[in-house]
Amino acid sequence: MTATAARAYFEDVALGDSVESPGLTVTEAHVGLYHGLTAELPDDPGRVPDLLPLCLSTGLGWRVPRPPLAVLAFLGVEWEVVKPLRVGDTIHGVSRAVSRRAMREGGVIIEEHEVIDQRGQVVQRGRFTFLVARRPAP
Amino acid sequence: MLCLLGMTAARRYFEDIEVGEEYESPGRTVTETDIVLFAGLSGDYNVLHTDAEFMKKSIFGERIAHGLLGLAIQSGLFYRSGPVFATVAFLGLRWKFKGPIKIGDTIRLRTRVSGKRETSRPDRGIVVVERRVLNQRDEVVQEGETDLMVERRPA
Repeated sequence: MTATAARAYFEDVALGDSVESPGLTVTEAHVGLYHGLTAELPDDPGRVPDLLPLCLSTGLGWRVPRPPLAVLAFLGVEWEVVKPLRVGDTIHGVSRAVSRRAMREGGVIIEEHEVIDQRGQVVQRGRFTFLVARRPAP
Repeated sequence: MLCLLGMTAARRYFEDIEVGEEYESPGRTVTETDIVLFAGLSGDYNVLHTDAEFMKKSIFGERIAHGLLGLAIQSGLFYRSGPVFATVAFLGLRWKFKGPIKIGDTIRLRTRVSGKRETSRPDRGIVVVERRVLNQRDEVVQEGETDLMVERRPA
C-alpha cells in the first residue's frame, strides 16, 4: 500500500478550531524577491511591503498540524493591515474556519486568519473564502 | 503621463485626488517563472500552482497562478499606471478572484477612485480605489477595492 498525502475535504472541516503555524522571520531576501516579482517600488527597504505578510500567511497555513484543504478555487479575501512590519520581525499565523456552506460541487469555507508578530500583536488579519472539494466516493 | 521615480513633484496629495479618476496600467505577461518564484517566496506549493499533470485533469486544464500572485502583481502595476499618490499606508482590501490567470496570460489593471474620506487626523485622509484586473481577452480575472491612507498637502 502506498501512503498518499492527506487532504481535508469539505466534510472534514470543523468550525471554530484554531490552528497555529510555526514562525517565520521576514528577511531582506523576502522583501527583495517580492519587490522584484511585483515591481512595487521600495521607498524604505527596511519596511515589509504591506501585501507580503498576506502572501506569506497562505504558505504558513500549510505548515500546521492538519492536512491541507482540498481547495478547488480561491474565491476571495478581505484583509486589514493593522500595523506595519519591519525586516527582522518574526510572524506566525493563526486561523480557524468560521463558516461552511455546501454547494453542488463541493462547498464554500470561510477562514479567519491573523498574522501575529514576535510581540504577540496582530499585524494583519482578515478572511479567506475557498471553494473546497467534497470527499471523493471510495 | 509617465511618472519617474524620485520626481516628487508628481506626488499627488489627498486634496489633488478626485473621485472618478481612472487609470490603466501597462500589461504584464505572467510566466511560469513568476509562479515558481511566488511558490518559493510564499511557501504555497498547492498543486493548483505546481503540479502540471494533476492540473491537466482539473477544470482549469493546466497550472494557474496563485490568486495572491495576481493581487501582488496588480499592486506593482498600480505604481506603473500614472498616479503616484502620497500614500502613507495600505489599510486593507475587499477582493474577489473571478477567474484563473494561466501561464502566458497578459494582465493589466484598470483603476478608479471610488471614494474619499477625511480622518480624525488633519494631515491625512483615506482614498478608496476600485480595481479590476483584466486579461488579454478583456475578461475580469480579479476585482475589488483597496483603502489607502494618503497624506494631505503640507501647509
